[in-house]
Amino acid sequence: MKVFIDPPNSMILFDLVERFGHEPLSSMAVIQEKVDNIEVDMPPMNVTLDDVVKGLKYAGVEVPSGIRGRLALWGPMIEAADAAIIIEDPPFSFGCVGCDRSNELTKYLLHRRGIPLLTVAYPETAEQAKTLVASVKEFLAGLGASA
Amino acid sequence: MTIRIAQLSCGTEYSGVQFEIESAARAVGAKIVYPDVSYSQVQEALDRFGFRPKSPQLQLMIARAMSLADEKYEADAVFITTCFRCAEAALVRNELRRFIQEHTKLPVVTYSFTERLKASQLLTRMEALVTIVSGKELLARERQTGITAGLDSGSATTKAVIMEDNKIIGKAWTTSGDVVQCAEEVLNEALAQAGLKLDQIEAMGTTGYGRFTLGKHFNAKLVQEELTVNSKGAVWLANRQKGEATIIDIGGMDNKAITVRDGIPDNFTMGGICAGASGRFLEMTARRLKVEIKDLGSYAIRGDWRNAKMNSYCSVFGIQDLVTTLGAGKTFEDVAAAACHSVAEQVFEQQLQEIDVRHPIIQVGGTSLNKGLVKALGEVLGEEPIVPENSQYIGAVGGALLSSGFLGD
Amino acid sequence: MSGARETRIFMISPDSMITTDVLARAVHTMADGVSVKETCYGCLAEADPEVMAGVVRKVRESYGNQVFTKRRGYPAGDPRRCRAQHGTRPGYSQLEAEWECLPLIQHALDEIDAGDEKYTAPAQRKPLPVSELKKICEESE
Repeated sequence: MKVFIDPPNSMILFDLVERFGHEPLSSMAVIQEKVDNIEVDMPPMNVTLDDVVKGLKYAGVEVPSGIRGRLALWGPMIEAADAAIIIEDPPFSFGCVGCDRSNELTKYLLHRRGIPLLTVAYPETAEQAKTLVASVKEFLAGLGASA
Repeated sequence: MTIRIAQLSCGTEYSGVQFEIESAARAVGAKIVYPDVSYSQVQEALDRFGFRPKSPQLQLMIARAMSLADEKYEADAVFITTCFRCAEAALVRNELRRFIQEHTKLPVVTYSFTERLKASQLLTRMEALVTIVSGKELLARERQTGITAGLDSGSATTKAVIMEDNKIIGKAWTTSGDVVQCAEEVLNEALAQAGLKLDQIEAMGTTGYGRFTLGKHFNAKLVQEELTVNSKGAVWLANRQKGEATIIDIGGMDNKAITVRDGIPDNFTMGGICAGASGRFLEMTARRLKVEIKDLGSYAIRGDWRNAKMNSYCSVFGIQDLVTTLGAGKTFEDVAAAACHSVAEQVFEQQLQEIDVRHPIIQVGGTSLNKGLVKALGEVLGEEPIVPENSQYIGAVGGALLSSGFLGD
Repeated sequence: MSGARETRIFMISPDSMITTDVLARAVHTMADGVSVKETCYGCLAEADPEVMAGVVRKVRESYGNQVFTKRRGYPAGDPRRCRAQHGTRPGYSQLEAEWECLPLIQHALDEIDAGDEKYTAPAQRKPLPVSELKKICEESE
């Protein structure tokens, strides 16, 4: 199954979802789609005005452009996801997930879709790490076989 | 030498404007760099800075600024930029600008962008950053020498000044039309006043929107953006070459607010999104009131803006309000005062919040001849600005002054 | 999505004894047509997606819970993302932070592999009732 990970660029979540037999939907995949497009020359990311305008589907024009640009890229993945796993309050969240407002909106859109959703705390101890890994495994197993 | 401009930013890549920023920097011989910081430095920097924004990218900006202040990373200038309409970013942007100014000697410019930002909008700002870094020696010049000319090709007016041995000996202006034609017209008039011929001019400096065209046409020694040139012109005219000052230039198309230390800018903002906050609005008001633009100021100082209610800053709706007020029996004086107050208030609200105003305030540019606007700005700022003689000629004077630096003393 | 290439980050958990050069060399031998670049945290590898799937499987077989992986959007050495061009990109701090957390994940996976899948659901944090706080205040007066 397609599992949206949040933060969408998290190595830990990407690895765990794949390790337990599902397909992680990540920001890396959508960025690859952008940067491999040789018809656009807008380095570094090839995000264009058109993309940001597409983001109006998710947030109005009074919302900063960085949020609309991000949502233009992640929105279709959120719509395509069969399930999602969210790490709450990760201390790491730079780059793709550098904007807290975008991150909040992403989480909300996932909730609104009504798909199976697991929210786990970022681990600081061995016990919390066990909770994260074991609950992710249990959640993914509950989704059934990978499509 | 490639000038290294450190970019402290949030949202540029996902807004599709990073490419435009880098293009603008490249066009003026600079390169955008990101100060290197490690994850642990981010945490340390936040503790030291004492402001912990929720957005991690803003946290990273703080760490990068800290790395510049600690001289752990080498850069020549700083460009701080974040998404327009993001309140969290606006707070960080301004506090970091202040932090950089307090802890480094690097020139800094801040900018809030929308997804429609194009490189051309940043060119003047980037060019000014580069000039401040690479033209330090030239910008330190306080006296004009020899016989030089300055041409300022602005969006509303074109100005020429002839200077000899640190004195203005000829000056002229006209409304802008064809760039070269207008420049020739004012230059000839200024030369005639000075009793000189063009071939007697030893060096020329051009500035303003038409600077490149004029620089080429007249083979000018100096072709430079109006931020640094106007600053020099302003401090020369106001005789404030030493110490600190804030220069406010409300122009026909954009407004500049520049803070200087010993005549050299270290921070500036340029606004140009809304006509309602520019000299153009005053022109439109004058036309609608059927008074000469030069008379608008004298009406305004006799009026009281409080009597003419404006519900909008917009150049269309705002003027509509003024006309309605006039219809309701209010005086020309009150309406003119309201128009000036509206422009002054917008400059204060939208631009002066992006810099730390230093004293004295020197108001320059063509609009500084409008006494009503000077009064309004003084009211809004709580301090009467200094308006030097020939204040409309700052760009041309700056051009003549700086170009004499090419003559050799 | 581009089917032409897949670029992967392979990151060694700080608690592992595997060195970056061992990992890079091993990945290199796991399939034909895979290019590998050793990095400070492990290696970057690039291959066709089908080839990469095999490489990921083999890395997991060989190194179990000591090596983690995710895709990377940019090709290896892309000047648009290369650190040498501009300085570090924001994602670098992110990787650094996740790297620090990997030992916890590694050991949790080890326990699960050993058959212990029990975990404690996190306790709901609730604010102290006002009456309790009042009592504490009064007691400390």
